Amino acid sequence: MDSENIIDLNNISVYQNKVLVLKEVSLKINRNEFVYLIGKTGTGKSSLLKVLYADLPLKEGEATIVGFDLKRIKNKNIPFLRRKLGIVFQDFQLLTDRSVNDNLTFVMKSTGWSDKKKINERLEAILEDVGLKNKGYKMPHQLSGGEQQRVAIARAMINHPEVILADEPTGNLDPETSEGIMELLFNISKSGSVVLMATHDYSLFSKYPARIIKCENGNVIEGNIENNE
Amino acid sequence: MSDSQERFNLRRLKTSYLTTIISISLVLFMLGLLSLLILHARKLSDYVKGNIGFSVILKENAKEVEIKELQKKLDASDFVKSTNYINKDEAARILQKDLGEEFLNFLGYNPLSASLDIHLNPNYANNDSLSIIEQRLMKKTIVKEVVYQKNIVTIVNENIRKISIIILFFSSLLMIIAIALINNTIRLSVYSKRFLIKSMQLVGATQGFIRKPFVFKGIMQGIYGALISIILLMGLIYIASKEIPELFVLKDIRILLIIFSIVIVLGIILSWISTFFAVRKYLKIKTDYLYY
Repeated sequence: MDSENIIDLNNISVYQNKVLVLKEVSLKINRNEFVYLIGKTGTGKSSLLKVLYADLPLKEGEATIVGFDLKRIKNKNIPFLRRKLGIVFQDFQLLTDRSVNDNLTFVMKSTGWSDKKKINERLEAILEDVGLKNKGYKMPHQLSGGEQQRVAIARAMINHPEVILADEPTGNLDPETSEGIMELLFNISKSGSVVLMATHDYSLFSKYPARIIKCENGNVIEGNIENNE
Repeated sequence: MSDSQERFNLRRLKTSYLTTIISISLVLFMLGLLSLLILHARKLSDYVKGNIGFSVILKENAKEVEIKELQKKLDASDFVKSTNYINKDEAARILQKDLGEEFLNFLGYNPLSASLDIHLNPNYANNDSLSIIEQRLMKKTIVKEVVYQKNIVTIVNENIRKISIIILFFSSLLMIIAIALINNTIRLSVYSKRFLIKSMQLVGATQGFIRKPFVFKGIMQGIYGALISIILLMGLIYIASKEIPELFVLKDIRILLIIFSIVIVLGIILSWISTFFAVRKYLKIKTDYLYY
């Protein structure tokens, strides 16, 4: 793997159970890159992301992400891969039985944080970043869809990951908050992380131009702003 | 959501937690009851066997000193639980009481012999031991004959054997039912959290980190369940000893401590193992299968 390539996919095929979703995908993403992953519903965007965070097994091809070999990764090492990634799920995947603070604390504790003071400091900072400063005590069901989305983003960013995989992170947000989140993600990519963001919101491209990858007819191709409008 | 609605939902959640504990406690109560029965079955069988006895009929010319000496020897031997010397006059009094007739006046003499009534140590209450004891006693010069009912010994032993087999069968059956019930209760409780388990995995928590709070909660449920079942058992024992005082043996502290320990250990181990495997199942399962 080229040391600059945080994500390196080489002729991989993506399967959902036994159904082939994407074939012969080759893709390299370097540090600092912000990449949009676009395509119609059901074209395999989420499946590709699932392969990247090892929720779907890689059966064909070779792939590495943040130094982990996705084809040969052992189950016991998957949590350590995910700790290097920040994942924003389309359906949020928040822990519904605990407050926002506890959701974020769970991630920190499960990834080795033990100093209470540092945990609280980070908690405050990240909630402020996503505009939820005074809502840490709330339960996920007490938040709107957009607010839950922001908690999911906060959770993804909390450990300063090398890669952020975001599956439609602005899908449930109003334009103003959307913009705030995009600023946040762009700043993360500038600070050295890779952001791979699946989205349908093409209006973002003009304001936040970046590399575009498109899932279409079982293939992944490089796109551009013009032919996606 | 209104406060009252929230309180109602919280109450419902607590009720479901409580229901799990009560299910566990009822199963453990049944297991405790069974342990009580098994541990006392031995005592009850010893009690019945200890009542099996035989009479050593003594010769007319047996002297009091010789009889006392024989009684002492018998008391010292392993197979004897207790002896009771009945002289001729006492034997006549007992028979007279049983018959309700003054047979001595009618006969003009006392035809009865003095005897030693012997109650056996439960371990020797069988026909084989009895015939050896009989042979030994018959060698004594003052012994006229040894009387016992062979049939009763056989019937008592046979019945105890049958009852033991039945108890053993039901114990095994109940044990299987108990394991299945506790396992099922805990699995249902973990099943309701399967998506949480998956979310925890997706954010990078290790299997051990996810499993720990579940197992801890499972063990606590087992302990609470065990404590409730012990309170129920104590209540039952108290009522039983008041209503049926003959069951005073149930108050044996040593046995009670053993049973309570069994209930607590079973509560902990069963809920521990059940939780461990229930969580393990959802840690290993593919996300797609969570929806089936």
